[in-house]
Amino acid sequence: MGRIVGIDLGTTNSLVAYLDPATNQPKCIPGPSGSTLCPSVVSLDPDGSIIVGEPARRRLLTQPERTIYSVKRLMGRGPADVQNELKLFPFRIDPSGNHVIRVQLGDKVFTPPEISSFILRELKNWAETYFGETVDRAVITVPAYFNDAQRQATKDAGKLAGLEVLRLVNEPTAAALAYGLHEEQRGKVAVYDLGGGTFDISILKLISTSEGDIYQVLSTNGDTHLGGDDIDNLLQAFVHEQILQTDQIDFSPHGELAQELRKELIAIKHKLSEAESATLRFPLPGGRVFVHEFTRGALEALIRPVVDRTMVPVNQALADAHLKPTDLDEVVLVGGATRTPLTRRTVQEYFDRKPHTELNPDEVVALGAAVQADILDHGVNSMLLLDVTPLSLGIETYGGAVAKIIPRNSTIPASAQELYTTGVDNQTGIDIHVLQGERELAKDCRSLARFNLRVPAAPAGLPRIEVKFLIDANGILQVSAKDIRTGTEHSIEVQPSYGLNDNDIERMLEESIEYAEQDFAERQVIEARTEAESILTATAKALANPNASNLTLPERAMIESSVAALKEAVQGTDYKLIRKQMDDLNKATEHLAELLMNSALQSALEGKKLAEV
Amino acid sequence: MTSSSSTTNAPLVCWNCHERTVGTHFCSSCGKVLQVPEHSDYFAMFEIPRKLWIEMGALEQKFLQLSWKLHPDNFVKATPAEREISLKRSSELNDAYRTLRDPVARVEYLLAIEGARKEGQNKQQAPPELLEEVFELNESLDELREVKASGGDTVNLKHRLEAAEKNFAGKLTGVDGELQNAAREWDSALESGDSAKRQSIRNKLNELLNRRSYIRNLVTNVQKELL
Repeated sequence: MGRIVGIDLGTTNSLVAYLDPATNQPKCIPGPSGSTLCPSVVSLDPDGSIIVGEPARRRLLTQPERTIYSVKRLMGRGPADVQNELKLFPFRIDPSGNHVIRVQLGDKVFTPPEISSFILRELKNWAETYFGETVDRAVITVPAYFNDAQRQATKDAGKLAGLEVLRLVNEPTAAALAYGLHEEQRGKVAVYDLGGGTFDISILKLISTSEGDIYQVLSTNGDTHLGGDDIDNLLQAFVHEQILQTDQIDFSPHGELAQELRKELIAIKHKLSEAESATLRFPLPGGRVFVHEFTRGALEALIRPVVDRTMVPVNQALADAHLKPTDLDEVVLVGGATRTPLTRRTVQEYFDRKPHTELNPDEVVALGAAVQADILDHGVNSMLLLDVTPLSLGIETYGGAVAKIIPRNSTIPASAQELYTTGVDNQTGIDIHVLQGERELAKDCRSLARFNLRVPAAPAGLPRIEVKFLIDANGILQVSAKDIRTGTEHSIEVQPSYGLNDNDIERMLEESIEYAEQDFAERQVIEARTEAESILTATAKALANPNASNLTLPERAMIESSVAALKEAVQGTDYKLIRKQMDDLNKATEHLAELLMNSALQSALEGKKLAEV
Repeated sequence: MTSSSSTTNAPLVCWNCHERTVGTHFCSSCGKVLQVPEHSDYFAMFEIPRKLWIEMGALEQKFLQLSWKLHPDNFVKATPAEREISLKRSSELNDAYRTLRDPVARVEYLLAIEGARKEGQNKQQAPPELLEEVFELNESLDELREVKASGGDTVNLKHRLEAAEKNFAGKLTGVDGELQNAAREWDSALESGDSAKRQSIRNKLNELLNRRSYIRNLVTNVQKELL
């Protein structure tokens, strides 16, 4: 079994972390550039290879039609859901998809889980390079307010990346875990998490028991389409409007120029977290440079609507936990967008408490995921996480209404049973529609699945089928049914309303091999074999050299047995063994190498070429 | 349906070692997590009698203690069968805690396992003593909808409805008080073992729950119209 890691699959950046056994502290793993942040950007190279992270981000400017960012916004959503996103984001959606969104990159189409799997695979490679070992299991974080379909899509992405997803952990809960380990906090904690594309608020109770610490989530709320991206969109729209007025230039919203401007504006936004003012100088087509001085005050006026929108879920989460803002013992800020002074001030005033910002807000979620990964790897011994389902689970009843069967903020795993019977004689099926959401009508809730419950033909009202709806520890729904009269369990084929079915996944797994780099262990075996072959060839050549006759018999015997051992190891797939036999052979040939080197020197002096030795 | 006040589950056979076991959650001979017995209930899960007064602190302690042991996090490396049982057991533990923690859900659950919960026909019917007031309220609601539709002045009507809402909210508090009293009666009847008395209290609790749900719906409907 390989290593286990924690992964924060973010809208803007993704990170991978592990728990360092030496310090018992979680740590983020850097990529080739030395940075721990992997921009969540994927680009399809014209040669067909997939490029992820910083190199892909640079291609946003040069090859925008082959490059995608913020794909998390599309996870687990249907084509009809994303019409609004399309106005703001340069997603090119393949119109032929019906229940699944397909995004166009160059001449190919990919589903959002496939694109996310490329990011996960990149992080997996980072970790494998760092450890020098295979990584095959992961804890992946998701926004707490993600629904069933969004969670399932994330799990699918993990599977496509060759990772066994041991658990999906809610991002604010992960952050609380990281802080708890760091600060030894106790009492009631609010985690305010404003990321690139999503907002979550979670209220937790940290309880010390004789067995260890329990992190019990009391309530959670959020908005899966509210984040730093929205701030950038507001800034961009503002400047587009200015430029249209002063220079009569109408930016095509997703062209290279718009991407370039967006990059500049993000830099301005970051500067204004420290400085009181910052100046944008943007060269326009035609030669003029657009200049605009932003003050922090002006920026805050512009982005206040975004920050205000976060307070609606905050109020709801507190109400659900039966708490007032001043009941909280600690407040924690998570997510890059909480660096904005306006956010900090707003949160501080609301809770009347200085929020914690000690841990890097970009890294804290990945660090918490690493803590949970370690718990799952070694069993619960000092910490236990009890999370909740963010949305009520319901079933459609007569007249399109929804009967809630598992209320929001129920501790998961959670379940509910419903008893079904037939209304007419010999009815053989009952249609069941499962929904998630707080509204009263089915049409206003999120459709999770529809299925037809098979019923044995019998007089009306006689069949009694108990359907069990279970939300597992990942927040994902499972459905099973039992015939009460016969006791037989029915398996239920649940077709998700949005997302991939098993056949889709199967097919994508096959296709993913095309893009996948070889498995880490496989790569190691191939590399070791190649090196071994060249050592074996060199040794054979050296032994044939006349100078090799100066070797003692035991020396020659030692070399020959090492050669035989290495040849045998190369036949197998244990790369560590191959390396060991290579080392042994290298040691055994030390004297031989010396002999050859000396003779080479002599030959050189005698005017012979080295290659002739 | 049994109406015994016994708190322990009958012995069952462990799925793993096939020994008869007396544990509630874990096998007394091999220590493996046990399947939920068919006849188990939420009170038995917490090893408490079927009383309606529950000490919340103790319930929470027990919940946390059992969560440590039953949570799927403990079973990541276990066999698929054990993982399945852990998922089932921990979901039932959470369901049980959610239900027993809520005083009204607790009464509903108790009546359900005692086979005494009957909502059906009573649900849509106004309790007789409320008939007149409900009739008046519905008239005001209709009137408000009409005035709203025609764009007329709704201020007076709203005042009248707000007063009615307050009145019914008061009645809800009254029902909750009656429920509490009936719950106390249930607990003492359970101690004395008076089965006839228990039967009559069950009926009373059932009737109170129906009245409560009826009034609560009324209040919610009025609140919706006043928004």
